[in-house]
Amino acid sequence: MIIFKNITKLYPPNTTAVKGINLHIKPKEFVSIVGRSGTGKTTLVKLLIAEEKPTEGRIIVGGWDITGIRSNEIPILRRQIGVVFQDFKLLTKKTVFENIAFALQVCGAKRSRIQEIVPQVLKIVNLSGKENRYPLQLSGGEQQRVAIARSLVHRPKILIADEPTGNLDSFNTREIIDLLLKINEFGTTVLLVSHDREVVNYVNKRVIALGDGQIISDQKIGKYII
Amino acid sequence: MSLASWYQLIIFSWQSFWRNIWLSIVTITIIVLALVSINFLVVLNVITDTAVSLVQEKIDVSVYFKQTVTEPQVLEVKTYLASLAQVDDITYISQQTALQAFRERHQQNTAIIESLEALDQNPLGATLIIQAKSLDDYPEILSVLDNSKYNELILDKNFEDHAAYISKLKNISDTINRIGILTAAVFIFIATLIVFNTIRVAIYTHRQEIGIMKLVGAANWFIRSPFLFSGIWYGIVATVFAVAIMFPLLKVMQPPLNAFFLTADVSLAAYFRQHFWQIFGIEFLGIILLNAVSSFVAIRRYLKV
Repeated sequence: MIIFKNITKLYPPNTTAVKGINLHIKPKEFVSIVGRSGTGKTTLVKLLIAEEKPTEGRIIVGGWDITGIRSNEIPILRRQIGVVFQDFKLLTKKTVFENIAFALQVCGAKRSRIQEIVPQVLKIVNLSGKENRYPLQLSGGEQQRVAIARSLVHRPKILIADEPTGNLDSFNTREIIDLLLKINEFGTTVLLVSHDREVVNYVNKRVIALGDGQIISDQKIGKYII
Repeated sequence: MSLASWYQLIIFSWQSFWRNIWLSIVTITIIVLALVSINFLVVLNVITDTAVSLVQEKIDVSVYFKQTVTEPQVLEVKTYLASLAQVDDITYISQQTALQAFRERHQQNTAIIESLEALDQNPLGATLIIQAKSLDDYPEILSVLDNSKYNELILDKNFEDHAAYISKLKNISDTINRIGILTAAVFIFIATLIVFNTIRVAIYTHRQEIGIMKLVGAANWFIRSPFLFSGIWYGIVATVFAVAIMFPLLKVMQPPLNAFFLTADVSLAAYFRQHFWQIFGIEFLGIILLNAVSSFVAIRRYLKV
């Protein structure tokens, strides 16, 4: 599903974000990428969604070599990869329904399709009945669930969650992780980027640990070991 | 592109226009000022053209023939001149008619009348009054006449005084036009900069939405187009305002214009109504084009997709 072949990313003048990363993630896998701040976790996410291009190496997503992806191809890639972040990235002036619908509207979806898909994803994230609330009227966990719902509207093959529980209490954290596991069970490859030991240990799946921009361990059923 | 995409595009561009309403108002005001200044240039052109044509109607060249020149000779010159493309009309005044007119003009002056009586023959020659099609044609007609075989029949020509007036009028008209073009150019330049800045600020205001659009896979053109469309909204609204402002202004300007020309034949509003699409249509397309270019440059510079 995802292949990183000898990936290096340098930022001028002389910062090495990641160096010589070789990684193979199979379809339907749940992979936690762990490491301290500044070890290159977010750089890997940026490379995967083509927000950055690697200095060296090749990246293949679903058989598509995206190393030299053209700017007009990036939207096609991003419709196949759902992304959620720590800060939710919701539009506070739009309702829950509108926030999710926005992801479809900007891709030219018809009204009928929007009306069909949004309730479906709201049901998956267990937010049915809250579609008319505004983000600020929701708890942090609910806001993150809205973000996850939005990332699911294109039925992505891959879901990247970059520190999705960073702003949440332990109860909401558990809910979000359970939701990600549920999505994974449906067949979506999930990449969880986290530095939260409890979260990673709770997931109890493959763990890739990064240190100084390099892979320092890759355990099939792993624990947070740093 | 699907109908749904077009619909979303128009909605997003309208939201962009509306959410930055104060900025939009400033932008539209400057574009309206640019359009009104261009329209004043049109008004000035109409006024100067009218002035020139009114003066032109009153201008002619009188060619005075020597007393000895016979009527057939004068009529031959008339036929020759009438064949010139530049000549619009020629009036022949015979020696007799010239004398009669002279008598009537000076009938109160007994000294002149008595002097005329004392002469055995008519002292005046025949005259041809020539009207050219355009002011620029007079020197050419006179030059043709000077270089023809008929030159020796001519006693005098009276064009020079008029030439000075026409030249002065044309100079004034050209100067007014130049000032008008400069003013309009300044406003257009300012309007372009303002549109550029407005789009830049709109991009900054929408940076969160743009970020999310990129994240969820919106096509690059879909992210860029609303800002391009905003420029079109500015053009539409500004043109509507320019039309709404111009016609009442033309109505206000009409009475002093009538008083100046001593005629009510020149109607500015009628001229603008007759040439509505040429004037406002071209201005609208021009502004849209200018906004599109300005928006495009701003988007290229500030909207990284």
